Amino acid sequence: MIKVQNLSKKFADNMVLNGIDFEVAHGEIVVIIGPSGTGKSTLLRCLNYLEIPTSGVIEIADVKVDSATATAAQITNLRKKSSFVFQNYSLFANKTALQNVAESLITVWKEPKLVALKQAETILQQVGLGEKIHQYPSQLSGGQQQRVGIARAMAAKGEVILFDEPTSSLDPEWVDEVLAVMKQLAVQKQTMIIVTHEMQFAREVANRVIFMEGGNIVEQGTPKQIFEKPQHQRTKEFVGRSVKQNLSALDSAML
Amino acid sequence: MQMPLDVQYILELLPILLKYLSVTMEMAILGFCFAIILAVILAIVRVFKLPVLHNFAGLFISFFRGTPLLVQLFLLYYGLPQVMPIFAGVDAFSAAIIGLSLHFSAYMAESIRAAIMGVNKSQMEACLSIGMTRLQAMRRIILPQAARVATPSLMNYFIDMIKSTSLAFTLGVAEIMAKAQMEASSSFKYFESFLAVALIYWAVIEIFSRLQHYLEIRMNRAY
Repeated sequence: MIKVQNLSKKFADNMVLNGIDFEVAHGEIVVIIGPSGTGKSTLLRCLNYLEIPTSGVIEIADVKVDSATATAAQITNLRKKSSFVFQNYSLFANKTALQNVAESLITVWKEPKLVALKQAETILQQVGLGEKIHQYPSQLSGGQQQRVGIARAMAAKGEVILFDEPTSSLDPEWVDEVLAVMKQLAVQKQTMIIVTHEMQFAREVANRVIFMEGGNIVEQGTPKQIFEKPQHQRTKEFVGRSVKQNLSALDSAML
Repeated sequence: MQMPLDVQYILELLPILLKYLSVTMEMAILGFCFAIILAVILAIVRVFKLPVLHNFAGLFISFFRGTPLLVQLFLLYYGLPQVMPIFAGVDAFSAAIIGLSLHFSAYMAESIRAAIMGVNKSQMEACLSIGMTRLQAMRRIILPQAARVATPSLMNYFIDMIKSTSLAFTLGVAEIMAKAQMEASSSFKYFESFLAVALIYWAVIEIFSRLQHYLEIRMNRAY
């Protein structure tokens, strides 16, 4: 359903993505892990054309865009096929939670306002914010804001939701409620591509884990393969360190 | 020492001048509406750096900020009809409104542009990510947020504009300044006449300053 061919992105002289190829099937949940600055977020942003690729072809459902020939209309069409959950939420500051979620339905999909608001309310109830629909983002906690962010992405009728480190800027106490909403989406077989440092979450939820480094996909496989039997030396080191961190966190929690 | 001030004359003059206040306010309000429309267009052209238009907008803003309003009004009303006869039919009142809107749009465009640039870049990305076009994003998300930031300075320009309408008397528009000038030259009570007109400007602007203050409080409460 999603097909990426030879995707490259260069910032000035810095090659951030080196001709990435990968595919994601409908209903699949792919988690991308790897050290900071290895192009994970850039890859995700290219899929949504928030970053214009230097070269490469991106195909989501029936929309195929080659960066060499991309027109504005093609890019808008491609963007409609995916939606994005941002690290720092990026909710529309001048709109309530309900209006944030209804915005794509009203403006992009031209649904009647009342229908859109009704749908938005249902989605906010699904993420557990039925009581907060008339609050502005500034009146919500980080965890609540991110759940609105996910609700907004759910409403946008995309084929896939892209998560860019959705819990990285949250206080630890809010992380679980956001991960819970994402697990709920996983149960519903929502196609997702998730960049995260939450290794435990990746193990539980992912169908496939991709390890990236230096703008390349180093290794990919099931969570079991990547976390328990990584083939590549760099994957072993990265995963090993993460496991050790988790264990020491567990230790200190027990003390 | 006796004050050589004819208070009685001022009290009689005030109601006469007030009859012409509607002309002043009409110029200010119409001029401001046109100026805002033009300023938003100029600001968007500048923010998006639209080809050709961007350069034209830059030149426009540079000229109208770089020359005095009085010179612009004279050029428009006395000068332009000589080279372009089509403008000969434009009356003084309309010419004043056109001149005021062009002049103030140049200033307002810059403060609207700054307000748009001040809206967090991530707001635009969020719009694009759910499939909105840039124009939709501007209309629904960016401009409403920029409006909140720009309101105080736009209100200041409106207040400035009310005062600047007094220059329209040089084109022969019968507004309060022109009337005060006429009364002064027939009664020779220059001080009283101009004091009366000053008091009226002051009172009007005081009202709008209060309104501005109230508006700012309301807008800050919104979110």
